[in-house]
Amino acid sequence: MRDPRNPFLMRASEHIASDVTFLKLFAPGVFDLLPKDGLFEKLHFFQSAPGGGKTSLLRIFTPGSLLTLHAHRRNDDCEKLYKRMEDLEAVNESGPQILGVMLQFGRSYATLDDMELDTTRKDRLLLALLDSRIMLATLIGALTLKRLEYPKDLSKLKLELKPGLADHFNLPTLTSGEQLYQWAMQIETDICSTLDSLQPIQSQTLIGHDGLDIVNMLKPENISIDGVPVAQRVLIMLDDVHKLTRRQRKRLLSELIDQRNTSSIWVAERLEALGSSVLDPGSIHNRDYGEVVNLEEYWRHYPKRFESTVINIADRRALAAHDVEIESFTGCLQSSLDNTSLTSKFEEALEILSKRITDKYTSGRFIEWIQSRQTLDGTPRERLLAWKAVEILMERDQKKPQLEFDLPLSVGELQKRDDSDRRNDAELLLSQEFGLPYYYNFSTLAATASSNIEQFLAIAGELFEEAASAALVNKPHDLTPVRQHAILAKTAKYWWEEELTKRIPYPIEMRSLINAIGKLAFEETYQTNAPYSPGVTGIAINMREVRMLLDEEELEKRPDLKKLVKVLETCIAHNILEAMPDHSQGYQQWMVFYLNRLLCVQFRLTLKYGGWRRKKVKDLLFWIQDGFKPSSKNGARLL
Amino acid sequence: MMDFVEYTSGRWADYFLRCGEDFSSFWGNYLDEKRDIMFVLGLGFDPRMCSVIREILSYNGQGKRDCQVIAFNEGPDSPSITHIGRVQQNEQDLITLLKGQGTLKKHELVMWSDDGRRIGTIKAGSIFKEPEELIPYTDIIVDVSALPTSIYFPLIGKILTLIDINRRIEKMPNLHLVGAENPALDRIIRAEGIDDDADFLHGFSNGLEMEATGNIPRVWIPILGEEHEGELERIDDLVKPQEICPILPFPCSNPRRGDDIILQYRRLLFDRFKVEPGNIIYASENNPFEVYQKLIETIYHFNESLLPIGGCKAVISTHSSKLLSLGALITAYELGVKNKNVGVAHVEAMGYSIDEGAYTEAVKPENEVLFEMWVTGEVYANE
Repeated sequence: MRDPRNPFLMRASEHIASDVTFLKLFAPGVFDLLPKDGLFEKLHFFQSAPGGGKTSLLRIFTPGSLLTLHAHRRNDDCEKLYKRMEDLEAVNESGPQILGVMLQFGRSYATLDDMELDTTRKDRLLLALLDSRIMLATLIGALTLKRLEYPKDLSKLKLELKPGLADHFNLPTLTSGEQLYQWAMQIETDICSTLDSLQPIQSQTLIGHDGLDIVNMLKPENISIDGVPVAQRVLIMLDDVHKLTRRQRKRLLSELIDQRNTSSIWVAERLEALGSSVLDPGSIHNRDYGEVVNLEEYWRHYPKRFESTVINIADRRALAAHDVEIESFTGCLQSSLDNTSLTSKFEEALEILSKRITDKYTSGRFIEWIQSRQTLDGTPRERLLAWKAVEILMERDQKKPQLEFDLPLSVGELQKRDDSDRRNDAELLLSQEFGLPYYYNFSTLAATASSNIEQFLAIAGELFEEAASAALVNKPHDLTPVRQHAILAKTAKYWWEEELTKRIPYPIEMRSLINAIGKLAFEETYQTNAPYSPGVTGIAINMREVRMLLDEEELEKRPDLKKLVKVLETCIAHNILEAMPDHSQGYQQWMVFYLNRLLCVQFRLTLKYGGWRRKKVKDLLFWIQDGFKPSSKNGARLL
Repeated sequence: MMDFVEYTSGRWADYFLRCGEDFSSFWGNYLDEKRDIMFVLGLGFDPRMCSVIREILSYNGQGKRDCQVIAFNEGPDSPSITHIGRVQQNEQDLITLLKGQGTLKKHELVMWSDDGRRIGTIKAGSIFKEPEELIPYTDIIVDVSALPTSIYFPLIGKILTLIDINRRIEKMPNLHLVGAENPALDRIIRAEGIDDDADFLHGFSNGLEMEATGNIPRVWIPILGEEHEGELERIDDLVKPQEICPILPFPCSNPRRGDDIILQYRRLLFDRFKVEPGNIIYASENNPFEVYQKLIETIYHFNESLLPIGGCKAVISTHSSKLLSLGALITAYELGVKNKNVGVAHVEAMGYSIDEGAYTEAVKPENEVLFEMWVTGEVYANE
């Protein structure tokens, strides 16, 4: 395949065929989110929306990546990554130390549940299929790790089985790779060809397993090639586990928990449920399993780490472009609005705004505030922001329910109230009123990614496209704030109008709901007194009502609620809504649903978190059915 | 690995295809003698649903004229639920057409399981279970006009399987795949809310998901049509191909169509999927058997080239007309029977919306072309 022209468009890691390219593009900062306690000793869960980076994280531990990393450990591209992996004891000077066995789940497992068999038989077939596939993935991985050829060199591999288990499977205690391959391939072939057959199913001949028996045997000391253990550790990584049916997933997890003390297992899956629990309520964290790492949630807690990780990713991608020489992606984005061609626009806005304020606030109460602004030094942009901030403060003062005596407010009082939040509010409101750029610079770009790496790549790819085109014709490739804002707005519009309509289940209901939240947030944010600093970008439902949405009996009685749950789950699974359960406010617990930050660009909202409005489930049902109704002038909500 | 002899003697190297006026003259002559016919069609909102059966019944002739219609229970969440009025009208038209001519049997096909998973494609493979259901007829006519891809692939695959495995012991019927093509209508029917993941169609995964052969390279051959970017991304996620060979329509009624499709997908194909321009294949937009030939040639070529590393697995996906998709179906069926790793990947949609503003213009009879693919039976001397 061809070299990438715009490397940002190569999204998910599994599509990067070459391990060298994958390693070059991998940012070691991603390791920050790995569990600190018992990384290779406990059962850990990694959850995220599509594109969150789960598969990249797993792939780095696979034999191909480890071998390539070891071979390139002295190269500048891989040095830092090698050091981090060495710290994790995944690799050292003598080579890879982990046999990473990665198994990606497909929908075929779920098909087992559709066979006309009793549940026990279905489960036994599921476990047999998993056993066989994990075995096959182990064989392929072990040979790869030793640079041997699969399946030609299978005879060099040996696996020691417990005598009872060996008898059970009719295998020798010291089984060769070839025997294991034949055994596992036969099971896989029989089950898969039955599942896919258009002829009548002959299920009685299929062999089932009572547990994940083989997984239990995959210990480093049991697997050898030419008499030498293959690795210091065996790490089993199960990816896309959400593709199982709920019943199958539950069964698999109970099997894995049973083996928690004997195997290193990581489970990666898309977060699809509204409820936050990973396992049955009976499972005890730290005894039964280690960490549940929600990738987006982690990055939301550490936005600076996310930003530095995506800077690294972006710079690596920019360097990989083959048509142009752009050394750093951050160099493609101008970060200041001062000293730009916008100066005249700022001056024009300044004149309009200052006149509006002086005309409107003629009473003596604000005389000192106005005078302080009229004598203010600074760039046109700084003065414009100062004027807007004072207008917001005046509006707030005017809207206080019980007016204080109409005494003049001092400059000291203004300084006390005019904090950085006001400047943020002012910048957003000015941007909307005068068409000024608001979404620009790298921090903003990182924020619009909503903690999702693939979303970041998609947005950054649009910016890089224009920068690379400019560089190609020897023009300055640093994009102005105006261009950055325009490109982000266009990307957000496309995402909203095209992708979310065509590519997400429940598109009509989802758009109604999101449109309502966006419009509500816009309406609340753009009040003249900016009452909800830093601006509203979400809603919250009382946890009592959330529990009702999790009550399956209730849902069976209420199809409207059932549909709402499906829509909310779809939004969460695709990171369209960022759900934060158990948020305390006013002696009550809330589940906050923030809009994806790219949707904030579409609805012209702040990218900061914190502002949300309380809503009831009935409001959401109304929105899905009838859409959003703007509030009346007196502030009463017409839902 | 396929050998060259096998390739040149492909089952449908000689074929029977009739379109437009040839369709009418064929059926006019064909029904001069007594024929016991079973129609199989989908009960949907598509206005083309009754076009073929209306045309064939208009020639009268002697023999049975039974019909099995497949009704889709897509659940209350499907966007297609808004077209229920059109579905009812189509059903009424069908009843009227068959009145005094033959029997009508309705299959209710549940598309979703209780826990919210798609099961329609698996259920479609068991609408017909036994050869005895087919034997009373001389001709089975499957009309794909109002059937979704996920249904007619396993349905036709199953009927072909039943015919093929029983041919030696019973006289099996002829199988005709028919439909009404209307590009203007296709353009205004849009998929709404596609699934998160692509999957292999039931009966057409042919070992593609086997971990034991996971080291064998995969070649993906998408048959391209307009407005399927999301589906292509999902299938790329599923297949993770080492090579991609898109098929573009040429020759076609609009000679620029292939170029327009390339323009539409240029970033996806060349920047994301990194398709080699030399891998692009052209096939007539009106001939599914040409698509079949090109697919067989391409799969053969890659198997031969990659022989030193164990050959290849091939995945076909269809994003163009139903007519061309039938070329993919017979390719995957033929190679699947021969235990070749050739599968068909697909992404399902929650439902379909229609651009009502353009509907009246699109459904004009002059836009519609009927086609007939006779895929097995007396016309093939070697069977």
